[in-house]
Amino acid sequence: MNRSRRKNQNAVNAASLARWIVVTAFVALAGLSYVYLTLQLYHLGERKKLVENELLSLRTQNEVASVQIAALTSRSALQRRLKEGYLKMIPISERDIVRLSVPARRADEDAIQPVVNRPASR
Amino acid sequence: MNPNSRSRCALVCCFFIALFSAFSFRLIYLQVIKHDEYAELAAEKHVYKQIIYAERGAILDTNNEVLAHNVPVETAVADATHLNNREAVVDLVSNELGIPAEQVSEKLNSERRYIVIKREVPESLAGALRAKLRARDLRGIYFEHDATRIYPNGSMLCHVIGFTDFEHHGIQGVEASMEEYLHGQDGYRYVERDRVGQEIVPYRGQERAPRNGYQIHLTVDLNLQNIVENEIDAAMAEYRPQKATIILMRPQTGEILAMANRPNFDLNLRSEAKPEEMKNRATIDMMEPGSTFKIVAAAAALNEHRLRPDSTIFCENGLWNFGGAALHDHRAFSNLSVRDILIKSSNIGAAKLALSVGEQKFYEYIRRFGFGERTGIELPGEINGVIRPPRKWSKISITRIPMGHEIGVTPLQMTAAMATIANGGKLITPRIVKSITTSDGKTISSLSPVVLRQVISPETARQIGDALRGVVSDRGTAAAAAVPGFTIAGKTGTAQKVDPRGGYEKGKYIVSFSGYLPAEHPEFVGFVVLDDAQTSKPELNYGGLVAGPIFSRIAERAARYLDLEPHEEIRKAIPLERVALTHASRH
Repeated sequence: MNRSRRKNQNAVNAASLARWIVVTAFVALAGLSYVYLTLQLYHLGERKKLVENELLSLRTQNEVASVQIAALTSRSALQRRLKEGYLKMIPISERDIVRLSVPARRADEDAIQPVVNRPASR
Repeated sequence: MNPNSRSRCALVCCFFIALFSAFSFRLIYLQVIKHDEYAELAAEKHVYKQIIYAERGAILDTNNEVLAHNVPVETAVADATHLNNREAVVDLVSNELGIPAEQVSEKLNSERRYIVIKREVPESLAGALRAKLRARDLRGIYFEHDATRIYPNGSMLCHVIGFTDFEHHGIQGVEASMEEYLHGQDGYRYVERDRVGQEIVPYRGQERAPRNGYQIHLTVDLNLQNIVENEIDAAMAEYRPQKATIILMRPQTGEILAMANRPNFDLNLRSEAKPEEMKNRATIDMMEPGSTFKIVAAAAALNEHRLRPDSTIFCENGLWNFGGAALHDHRAFSNLSVRDILIKSSNIGAAKLALSVGEQKFYEYIRRFGFGERTGIELPGEINGVIRPPRKWSKISITRIPMGHEIGVTPLQMTAAMATIANGGKLITPRIVKSITTSDGKTISSLSPVVLRQVISPETARQIGDALRGVVSDRGTAAAAAVPGFTIAGKTGTAQKVDPRGGYEKGKYIVSFSGYLPAEHPEFVGFVVLDDAQTSKPELNYGGLVAGPIFSRIAERAARYLDLEPHEEIRKAIPLERVALTHASRH
């Protein structure tokens, strides 16, 4: 009787223990995941910032290049180069210009005309 | 437990209950009741509103050539609370940015969290400084992305384009008038920084992207502008006038094709420009137009059917006393037709044309031609000019106003009036803005021609046009304005310069020529005016002899650029073999 009572008193409730272990593991995992994800968030934030900076730098370089192109191809710059002799332009004289008159169009040229396909010969 | 111990125990319990209750109430007070206030204070400490500047829109000509755009620069700013080595930062920043060390030190000693060290730092310089700060582990200096305005063509079209102040607000020209479209809308972002000033990206708050400014496309064609600029420079060199203005305008639509003034200035060196150089004289300067104004008197007389183009008027043989004052012609004319009054530019004839319609009607025609009111062009500071109502006229005003005296008009008003003759009698609002687009080319607004009113009938406009063709002939006052191969209609003007102290300045004249080409189907109207041109002989200082040839050179080059087909005379000059080729290609 006594042995039996002691046995009952010291028995480990495996189901309950397992439940606690699972809950604790889950909580620990959730905590670790939270920490991991938070760190990831910071890490990705840093990467986002780097990419943003890189993008901004590329955009800026692009803008600077556009400005340089516009400055070098501006009318004033081209005229300056022309004056300095880097560029040569020969004006087209009137005698070298040939003007071609557009031939007169018939009044009915643009009118819709019926088209009949010839029957194929057999 | 004896009653004494029990009461002591209860007392301790009460004490702890009271203590923790006080803590709890305090926590509730701080966390709930005072939440917003302290959250704001915390945000002030760590959160920073970062402005993301919108890019100002570009200004382009009609062929999409860039007239004004932005170059990226950086603004060097400091947060004094983040500085970890003040002396080293001062030393490096002053060396790299070329600012005296005392100045940098003074700025940083203000202990503020936002100190502007230098604006418009070139991108390359900012990059180098950033790298050096990082290498020496110096904190507290940051760079904000910004842009500065660049005008690739320097002084070309300077009065039309205008410029901006250092806060990127337009203060002159199209930059000012189109400010609301060019400026765009700045964006912002709330960022939180750590103790070393680095942004904590996950804590990034509310964010709004900027909307870049729209692009403004002008009606101006840089090719024509270039022709005008070259010719106005040549005129300045040859005649050394105080001021000069040239305008080219399309009469059917009111589009300004070119507009140049002298003196002028370089838009990229605007801080060095004098106020006199910055004035767009085409719209804000007033002048007495002289004989170019005779078209108004002639148009009024013909449109009111008081006279016909071939009706003759006695021109008093060159001297006419009217209202107790003598009116002279530059030559003695007896009888002249209305057409010949314009061709010979008779002052007496023009006065009699105005008298034929009467003061009130003549005044109405002046106003109908757009004088005395702003044209409505998209340029700031335009003036009305001065046209007094008939009740303020003197006895002789009716004889002086037809020859362009006693009134003040702007060169643009005069161009618009000539365009009215050229386009069949319609007064069109001159326009400088063609369209407004987004940076990726989507059209926001496209401006169409605005016809203000039909000033004169098309028939009257044709009759005046016929007379103006005669002006640019051997018989007229502007034979030198002719362009080989084309028929030109135009009118010269020579007005004595008004003395600001009263009366007229002796020997000083404002000479002008206003005309259009080709006379049959005008492609453009041109107006050339020179203030106090210096000629070798005083008798050469006439509109037809000074402004006329300038117009002729511009018109010839412009006609070639616009590929206008010349008249028969030029065709004959083409070599025979080429003519044969032309004919062969027709068949």
